[in-house]
Amino acid sequence: MSAAITIVRAGPLTTIQDEGRHGLLASGISASGPMDAAGFAHAAELVGVDARGGIEFTTAGLELAVTGGACRIGWAGGAFTARHNGEPVNWPGAAQLETGDRLGITPGPAGNYGYLRFDRDLEVPAVLGSLATSSRAQLGGLAGQALQAGDRLVLGNSATGQPRRHPPAPVPADNSFRVIWGIHADLFSPQARQAFVAGRFDVTAQMDRMGVRLRDTAGAFAGAGALSLVSDAIVPGDIQILGDGTPIVLMRDHQPTGGYPRIATIISADLDRFAQQRPGTAIAFQPVSVEHAHRLVRGETV
Amino acid sequence: MNDAGLPLPKPTIMPLGDAALLVRFATALTPEANSAAVALAQALGGDRVPGVVEIVPNLVSVLVRYDPLRTDPAQLAGELRLRLARLDSAGTSGTQHRIETRFGGAEGPDLDEVAGLLGLTAAEFVQAHNRAPLRVLATGFAPGFVYCGFHPPELVLPRRTTVRRAVPPGSVLFAAGQTAIAATEIPTGWHVILRSGCGRPNAAGSG
Repeated sequence: MSAAITIVRAGPLTTIQDEGRHGLLASGISASGPMDAAGFAHAAELVGVDARGGIEFTTAGLELAVTGGACRIGWAGGAFTARHNGEPVNWPGAAQLETGDRLGITPGPAGNYGYLRFDRDLEVPAVLGSLATSSRAQLGGLAGQALQAGDRLVLGNSATGQPRRHPPAPVPADNSFRVIWGIHADLFSPQARQAFVAGRFDVTAQMDRMGVRLRDTAGAFAGAGALSLVSDAIVPGDIQILGDGTPIVLMRDHQPTGGYPRIATIISADLDRFAQQRPGTAIAFQPVSVEHAHRLVRGETV
Repeated sequence: MNDAGLPLPKPTIMPLGDAALLVRFATALTPEANSAAVALAQALGGDRVPGVVEIVPNLVSVLVRYDPLRTDPAQLAGELRLRLARLDSAGTSGTQHRIETRFGGAEGPDLDEVAGLLGLTAAEFVQAHNRAPLRVLATGFAPGFVYCGFHPPELVLPRRTTVRRAVPPGSVLFAAGQTAIAATEIPTGWHVILRSGCGRPNAAGSG
C-alpha cells in the first residue's frame, strides 16, 4: 500500500535529495546530495529503514499533510521545532502519521538544513541514476525544481534496507574547521596564508546549495588581487577567493570547474557541520594533513 | 586528432581535498598540457585503478577521485606515476563531429564586432573560423559544455570586459583562442558569435 504527502508550505530551497549523483563531473554535473549528509542519514536511522530519497528544508520551514495512506517519518539535522498536528514533538525524532495528519517545521535554535525521511521510497523518477535535486543543473527531484506548496509526493514501496550509520565526526575543542591546503595555496603570500589560519571569518546570509560566502573580517585577503588561472576541477569544501578578496566555500551543488584561486578545502568530516553554521557565526580554519582527515573518515580518534 | 611528437610535460600530483588527487601538467593552457591531460584520462578510463571512483579530465589536469576507505594518496600516486611513465599523448583517439550552426544576427550578436576587431568581414571571419577542425579540449564547466581549440594566433581575442548574465542554450562562444559551445543557459564573458543546434540535451546527458 502506498501513501501520499502534500506540501502545504515550503521555503524556497526545499528539495528532494538522496546520496547524490556521483560520477558525472566530466559531463558538467556536480553530485548534489544533502548539505548535511550525517543529518540526512540520522533521519533514516530514526525511521528505522533506509528508504530512497528524503526532503531537505531550510530555516524557512516546511509544512506537509499526509493525504493518503499512512507512513512513518523521521526528522533530524540541525535543531528545528517540529509539531505533529500542532503538538510540539522532540527534535530529532520520528512518528507514525495517518491520513489527514500534519507535520510542521519551524526554525529552532541551530542549523540551516533539516531532513525528513520516510519508511517508503519517494516515487519520483531517477535522473541519471539519482533523485537528488541539482539547483545548478536543474535536474532531479520534481522536474529539477525546489518543492512548493501544492506538490504531492507518492511514497511507494516499503523499504527494508537497514539505515547506514553515519555518526558525525568529533568536533575539535576550539570548534574550528579543518582544511587541506588548496591547489593554489602556493599562489598566496605567506602573510595571507598565515592570516587565513589565524583569522576569523563570518558566515554571511549569502548562502545556498552552491556556496557560502564568508566575510573576511580581518582582511586576510585584502589586496590579494585577481589572478588569471586556467579553470580547474572543484570539489565540495573548496574555499575560493574572489578578485575582491571575498572567500566562498563551494558546497554540494558547486560548479564543476572554476578559475578563482583556492586556498584550502574543508575536510569531508567537517563539511556537514560547516553547512549548518548560521549567518553571523565566526569560524576559524585549521590546516591538517590528508592522513589526519582520513583517520576522521575511518572514525578513529585522532 | 592527436598531437604526435609533442613531449609530455612533467606533471605535479597534489591532493585536492581528502578524497581526490589532481594530476596537473601545467599552470597555463598549452596544447601539450591539454593533450597530456586527455591522454592520461583516456588511459585511466580503460584501466580500473583500485579505490578510484571518478576520473575527470580538465583543460590541463586530471582529477582522480578516490575512496579513502579503499586506497590512500601515497599508494594511488604510485599507481598514477606508473601509468604516467608509459603515457603517450600521441596515442589518444577521437571522433570528428560536424556541428550545424547559424551565424550572426540575433543568434550571434558579437559576430560583427569580433570580425572587426580581427580586421575581417563577418564572412571572412566565418571562413577563417571554420577552416580547420578544432579539438575538444575539455568538458565539465556546465552540462554539455565543450571547450574547443586551438585557433591560430591571428584568431585570438581576449574575453569581453563585461559578463552577460545568461546566454541561451546552443550559443557558440569565442575567446582566448578557443571556441566553446554552451548546451545550457550560462553566464559568460565570452563573445557570442553563432548558434548551434546543440541545445539542452535530454537531462543534460552526454559530455
